[in-house]
Amino acid sequence: MKKLLALLLAMIMVMGLAACGQKAEDTPPADDQQQGDTQTPEAPAEPAAGGEITLWTYPIGDWGKEDKVKAITDAFTADTGISVKVEYLAYADGDDKVNSAITAKNAPDLIMEGPERLVTNWGDKGYLVDLSDMFDDTDKSEINAAAMAACTHPNGSVYEYPLVITAHCMAINLDAFKEAGADEFLNLDTHTWTTSDFINAVEALYDHFQAPVGAVYCKGQGGDQGTRALVNNLYGGTFATASHDEYTWDDPANIKALEQLKSMPGIAFDASLEGGDEIKVFYQGILKMAFCWNIAQQLNPNQADTGAGKTANGEEIVFMGFPSQGGSPALQGGIWGFGIFDNGDEARVNDAKTFIKWMCDSEHTVDAVKTANYFAARSAAEGTDLSGIWADNEIMNEYQVLMPYLGDYYQVTKGWAGARTEWWTMLQKVGEGADIAETVATYAANAAAAAAAG
Amino acid sequence: MARQSQPTMSRALQRRENISGYLFLLPSLIFFIGFVVIPMIICIVTSLTDANMHDQGMFGNFIGFSNFTKLMSDETFLEALKNTFIIVIVSVPTVCAFSLWVSSAIYKLSGPVLSAFRCIFYLPVVTGSVAVTVVWKWMYDNYTGIFNHVLKGAGIIEQNINWLGDSKYALWCIILILFTTSVGQPIVLYVSALGNVDQTLIEAAEVDGANGFQVFWKVKWAQMMPTTLYILVITTINSFQCFALIQLLTKGGAGTNTVMYHIYWTAFKLTEQAGHFGYANAMGVVLAIFIGLLSALQFKLAKEK
Amino acid sequence: MKIETGRGRAYKIVSVIVLVILAFLFTFPLYWIVTGAFKNGADINATKPIWVPTEWVMNNFDKLMKQRSVPLWEVYLPFGSFFNGGKKVLLTAGPEAPAAIRWLINAVLMCVLAMLLTCLTAAMAGYALAKKRFNGRALLFSLIVCAMALPKQVILIPLLKEMSALHLYDSLWAVIFPTVGWPFGVFLMKQFSESIPGEILEAARIDGSSEWNTFSTVVMPMIKPGIGALAIFTFINCWNDYFMQLVMLASGSNFTIPLGIATLQAETSVDNGLLMAGATLAAAPIIIVFLIFQKYFTQGITMGAVKG
Repeated sequence: MKKLLALLLAMIMVMGLAACGQKAEDTPPADDQQQGDTQTPEAPAEPAAGGEITLWTYPIGDWGKEDKVKAITDAFTADTGISVKVEYLAYADGDDKVNSAITAKNAPDLIMEGPERLVTNWGDKGYLVDLSDMFDDTDKSEINAAAMAACTHPNGSVYEYPLVITAHCMAINLDAFKEAGADEFLNLDTHTWTTSDFINAVEALYDHFQAPVGAVYCKGQGGDQGTRALVNNLYGGTFATASHDEYTWDDPANIKALEQLKSMPGIAFDASLEGGDEIKVFYQGILKMAFCWNIAQQLNPNQADTGAGKTANGEEIVFMGFPSQGGSPALQGGIWGFGIFDNGDEARVNDAKTFIKWMCDSEHTVDAVKTANYFAARSAAEGTDLSGIWADNEIMNEYQVLMPYLGDYYQVTKGWAGARTEWWTMLQKVGEGADIAETVATYAANAAAAAAAG
Repeated sequence: MARQSQPTMSRALQRRENISGYLFLLPSLIFFIGFVVIPMIICIVTSLTDANMHDQGMFGNFIGFSNFTKLMSDETFLEALKNTFIIVIVSVPTVCAFSLWVSSAIYKLSGPVLSAFRCIFYLPVVTGSVAVTVVWKWMYDNYTGIFNHVLKGAGIIEQNINWLGDSKYALWCIILILFTTSVGQPIVLYVSALGNVDQTLIEAAEVDGANGFQVFWKVKWAQMMPTTLYILVITTINSFQCFALIQLLTKGGAGTNTVMYHIYWTAFKLTEQAGHFGYANAMGVVLAIFIGLLSALQFKLAKEK
Repeated sequence: MKIETGRGRAYKIVSVIVLVILAFLFTFPLYWIVTGAFKNGADINATKPIWVPTEWVMNNFDKLMKQRSVPLWEVYLPFGSFFNGGKKVLLTAGPEAPAAIRWLINAVLMCVLAMLLTCLTAAMAGYALAKKRFNGRALLFSLIVCAMALPKQVILIPLLKEMSALHLYDSLWAVIFPTVGWPFGVFLMKQFSESIPGEILEAARIDGSSEWNTFSTVVMPMIKPGIGALAIFTFINCWNDYFMQLVMLASGSNFTIPLGIATLQAETSVDNGLLMAGATLAAAPIIIVFLIFQKYFTQGITMGAVKG
């Protein structure tokens, strides 16, 4: 027994020695370290015919669920012989993971997210491959112009191939609204309401439930589009200029909105929640409205598979546009698609491009879009019409009423990642009772500095 | 201690001691130098450069001490440094005092009861930091946590307290968790130290008319000094290992940022400042200097005893 | 002992009551984890805490097992990527299994390897530091003492780059090696070895015993309790080193159970029942290890400190 143990230790030691002995050597690039990993463990030693690529995806609709993603990547592998190894990132720490992988020269081949990360950050820093050769004139005419613009870097390179788009909105607990008599403030046909409707409704709800009914969550960046859209829309403020080179959130309309929200007892500024946490609390029926909402949530609240549009105790969830003075909000868009990390291996870049082509511009695009639970970013793909793919889905059809309100995709403004950090840090300070005008000025200035430096 | 080696060791003997000493040390040194010392040296060197994630190569351009001067005016960093010290300064003495009290209350209990108590106080350590963190997060929860429920039920608070979201409470909530995961080992140590105190000395003191407090202070406390110092060392180490708590509970928000977390943040979070490795390493160097001083102080105390 | 005064007895009663309350508070988080793991959805999502589950269900564990699937095991040739153009050399892989099981295997494997390596290297180094009068001993010891309290965040970036250069990034070794390098074990073992009487070593030498023989047959048995303590210590520390796991492990098949649970928590969709089921799995092995080695631990750790 002891001898065995000693032998084992000796073996491990030798390995350890080898580690140090080779340190000085000129090491080959570690880029393709993961290539040895095989998708089909039944035949581990056999290399797949068409190479292997890795895909890291954020939870974009059901692109964060293994069974759904596996179905579509298996189909892709069967079709092309290229196997795909998928890793699932969370919004809470996904960015750190990607950044540490880049530092360790171990970035994935494919990444699925929106332009605010792919174009403004990783693309801008030169980690991604320019995809502009994948778009011909037909593609450009089919793809939603705003999405195409957002995916294009100011230097002309396209760092993201858009797959799906949506408009972010908010949601309310209709049963709670009815119970508190606040449903009179809702227009359930247009799914919109005015600022005064919203204020009255929150007041009625608070009077009835005697606890905060909505939370301006500000723990981190997760779901921060919701708090921005809420503040911007209340009195018609903006977040950045239309030309995307400067931040405008020290706009008096935004300050007024923050003061209004802070003065409402029914609205809590909560630094212990992020977007995802807020949805959970809403889903539990504690909060009566959620600001971090979109159609994928409506179809499957909290990804809990407990039925579309229902809370945990079966109360009805209704999606609403953000309240604005005239009742016509500017909704924050969501654009998601694929980017390719430049790992210096031509063959894998080509495989990754094959993957994108298969997912975003072929007859299979329907499935890829449906997996995401959002709307297609293009009208048609290689002859397949995509406009009617949700025709049989009542909720999706109803949601179409909000799509015209899709506002500017300002997340591609320079210095975005720094600015959004300033935004939620500012909300924390406001929540703690700091002077609003002053706080907004300080943090907006920080964001402006980030934009100038970025 | 009886030792054969005299100051005037013969040269041959010295060489033999050198060879055998270093051969025994070799395996350990490979790991220590390879994965602690070398990274630390690289850390110090890069802290003087503008190395960052986006340039290839380990080192950027030499920029002297400007990372450090920038740190001195970086409010986020200074706040993190302050919080780090609050955590250490609060948790180390409380852990020591608390475990001493618990141990003196339990060390005379009968065997099984004593074991049971020791195990109970050790439980949070062996539950594992991540498991402990997720359950405390739930317990602290603003809306569904049991703390708010119990306190409200008892009529102590009227409105829910947002434990982890309010900068009045968040840091203390984290210190509390750290506290529960730190007292286990000190209690084990103090229990045996108290059991090992020389009974004859106590009796002698009592004969001389010393009261309970004097007996404790002059005899027991003095004899437990080595244990106390050891406990100070391990508790300090423990207090610097609170990364998981911060990352999983508050992400450095609500006034809970620490230097340890801020280094990670500066290195890898997706902001424009991120990936500035030189700057992050400079923070590491500042932290290492403080820790080095603290350790030196503790060991100086230990030497004097 | 003196005769108990009234005040003394009152103090005793109060302290027993306080102790019992404290014992309750210290056990509660674990109770909450375990009951949470077996609660049904309604109990978990209830706005008022449910102290005892209305029914005990396995739902949460089922859900946990369905989260992801990865090969049950994958054995790579260590440093194989150096000889294979940067690609890892996969020796064998197991059948697809729930990721949580793999994470559990990974975590145990990682901690056991770190534990074995640390105990051996630290016992040797501690003995040398305590009993050998070689040049540079004092300097080395001060270096070890200073590095002991160093949080790993300080050397995060160089370490990550080093692991990448060694092709160890995204493997358990990237967590194991720095754990072994952490000099606390050496410090602890030095404290133990101080108590070995010099005469015994001298006698062994006169008998013609080689250095290694002296170490393995004379020294090792004497510091056994210390090694026991160090073993459990390293196991717990490695298990709890969430930070290194977070930074060094990238793919889902290489996660450890604590990292996996933290990742589940990070995902927006997660519910507390699922998390508590994961936490139960994450807590069970280390509690078991603690209970097995408990005797050694109390003995060993105390000796080291008191002798120090």
